[in-house]
Amino acid sequence: MSENTQNKQQGPGAVQTTGHAWDGDLQEYNNPLPRWWLWCFYGTVVFSVIYWFIYPSWPVGQTWLKGFGTVSYTVVDKATGKEKPQEYRWNTRSLLLEDLDNAANNAQRKAMLAKVRAASFDEIVKDPKMMEFARSVGKGLFGDNCAACHGRGGEGVVGLYPNLTDDDWLWGGSMAQIHQTLLQGRNGFMPAFGQVLKPEQVDDVAEYVLTLSAETRPSDASERGKEIFQGQVGGCYYCHGADAKGLASQGSANLTDKIWTVINLPAQKALQDKKNLLKTLVANGVSNTRIMPFWKGRLQDDDIKLLAVYVHQLGGTK
Amino acid sequence: MAQSSALPVEQYNFDIVRKFMIVAMVYGVLGMSVGLYIACELAWPFLNFDIPALTFGRLRPVHTSLVVFGFGGSALFATAYYIVQRTCQARLAFPWLAEFTFWGWTAGVALGVITYMAGFSQGREYAEFEWPLDIAITLVWVCYIVVYVETVRRRSQPHIYVANWFFMAFLLAVALLHIFNNLAVPVSLTKSYSLFAGVQDAMTQWWYGHNAVGFFLTAAFLGMMYYFVPKQAGRPVYSYRLSIIHFWALIFLYMWAGGHHLHWTALPDWVSTLAATFSILLLMPSWGGMINGIMTLSGAWDKLRSDPIMLFLITSLSFYGMSTFEGPLMSLKSVNALSHYTDWTIGHVHSGALGWVALVSFGSFYHLIPRLYQTKLYSKTLVYVHFWLATIGIVLYITSMWVAGIGQGLMLRGFDDYGNLAYTFIETVEFMHTPYVWRALGGAFFVVGALVMAYNMVMTARASRSEQAALEAKLAAKLAKA
Repeated sequence: MSENTQNKQQGPGAVQTTGHAWDGDLQEYNNPLPRWWLWCFYGTVVFSVIYWFIYPSWPVGQTWLKGFGTVSYTVVDKATGKEKPQEYRWNTRSLLLEDLDNAANNAQRKAMLAKVRAASFDEIVKDPKMMEFARSVGKGLFGDNCAACHGRGGEGVVGLYPNLTDDDWLWGGSMAQIHQTLLQGRNGFMPAFGQVLKPEQVDDVAEYVLTLSAETRPSDASERGKEIFQGQVGGCYYCHGADAKGLASQGSANLTDKIWTVINLPAQKALQDKKNLLKTLVANGVSNTRIMPFWKGRLQDDDIKLLAVYVHQLGGTK
Repeated sequence: MAQSSALPVEQYNFDIVRKFMIVAMVYGVLGMSVGLYIACELAWPFLNFDIPALTFGRLRPVHTSLVVFGFGGSALFATAYYIVQRTCQARLAFPWLAEFTFWGWTAGVALGVITYMAGFSQGREYAEFEWPLDIAITLVWVCYIVVYVETVRRRSQPHIYVANWFFMAFLLAVALLHIFNNLAVPVSLTKSYSLFAGVQDAMTQWWYGHNAVGFFLTAAFLGMMYYFVPKQAGRPVYSYRLSIIHFWALIFLYMWAGGHHLHWTALPDWVSTLAATFSILLLMPSWGGMINGIMTLSGAWDKLRSDPIMLFLITSLSFYGMSTFEGPLMSLKSVNALSHYTDWTIGHVHSGALGWVALVSFGSFYHLIPRLYQTKLYSKTLVYVHFWLATIGIVLYITSMWVAGIGQGLMLRGFDDYGNLAYTFIETVEFMHTPYVWRALGGAFFVVGALVMAYNMVMTARASRSEQAALEAKLAAKLAKA
């Protein structure tokens, strides 16, 4: 069993084994390498060598073989500001530029971008073609950058992320204002009145605010609250306005409608629960929780402009 | 075969083989079930129940470590210890050291997955174990090498059988990979920072990751194949020459291909090119093993009709051939631009992991079970049931991942009439929901198959025990009479 020196014939015409045997019957034929296997292997060698000539490959000293492959793409001439073709040796970064150049319908995209760049918001809105383009750009940009917070359709999350499809805008709903919001971002803030006002005063203010949106009827308490709101003690009108309709310059909420952005008031059935939510908000204020990131520098200027148009046409029009 | 199975059991240490086989099955069922669970999480994300330990990020390394190291690793320990004894005709050297490798390995995997669930991870794919476990694993591995090599040295056969070359290459390469990839500076018992940074770190990680596939999941399992296929077929290996050539070509070429995991990243273009070509060069050396295995059966194809174990082994070789063709294809820069970061990669890995690694291990275990338990297999029908469950599962898995991966890749490069991107990322995720459900179904088939095998194994062991008891009773009765 240790070594089987006689070459065993396995059936007629079979090749011989190597003559070794392990574990009883474990043997090996001495078949030659299959021809097709060998030729396929040589084929992969030829393929690899060609690949090495096309793409950057072997390192040589401090540099490497650059390869004969090239890519061509358009660049903007710094001196004249005109586009001109450029050819360069194959590399990943240049290839990206070439791919962008050759992307499907790139000519249309470039032409439309130039048109939109020169147009004002009003001109874009009046032109159905440009609006269609804005929707095409905006869908992708909004879906990949905004939807995580504001939702796929811009519906937002009450209490966390503003709804972009209604007419209620904290920072203004004109295209110019939306554009500004996108460029620089926003940081919602409301001072905490818990230390400034006594608990019963906070209660009165909450009572008053609830009358503004007709959640409850005016009462003595709400009258006291009105004095605090509209007077020097609370000074709420500084930001929310004497009419309590909010100021876009401050990002302050309109308190006269049924739309709530910082607290989910409509979700509360009982009046007392609504009031408690409001009281907590007045006492604690809002800071560092309602941050809209800025997009300048993160998205291209043209894209931000089109995104403003896109968000505007989601439904909220002012 | 009759000659060898007639040998007294005491000639070889089968106890350690049996232990590793049992642990492989336990870890295998566990790991595959975790895989099924995270596949369901991807289809129905609520399944993480907002419990950190159950989130995909924590369970994914639990799944990979359990199946690769727990199942695959233990299967390799079992078969390596079996094959080295039988082909060297020598009892396993240093039995106490072999015993240590068993407890060390089993405990290492268990501790590893528990620490992952608790949130401790190096963040290196397939090497998530934190540094104390890395050191423990290194120790166990060195003992593994010592036991194995010493057994080979004590062989009473002048020639070293081909399976042993593959196992020795695997032992050496895995030690090298494990040590270099895990070089790190510990800052506490549970936290360390890699010695490498940036793209060099990524390159080291994928040099390890790719060769974990190359040496752990390919070379070593080829070693397994080189013993169990000719043994089960009862025929000589097809070509000795081919085995030499493809062995050396495989172990030489694999080491350079890791960079193809980093195409289109900060990796220098020239490294990426070389990685792609070395992957192409790997195609035929990889196929050498498949040819040698499948051609071993030439002239005895009828065995596929009557022997379900042969069915497992030959199907595993077919999946091996398919995934080693797909791999080089995906390593080409242009193909990779489509496939990278998509589920095509996941499908590819599983055609290798389920189709090749798991099926060849199952086949080998079915060959081993009757020999280790000294009785016949409890049910041959259940082996067929397992085979079809596994095969259907794999096909469902791979095809659904092709749809998900290629579909997403095409969506991400789709443009609309204005030359703008046609789809947002979340739309591609929505699209993948259906293939994800199919994938989970495929995974379920595979897990059920593994459970059927575990049942078959337990029943065989029980039958063996009662047969043994009956035999002893008979003997006792005889002695009493005398």
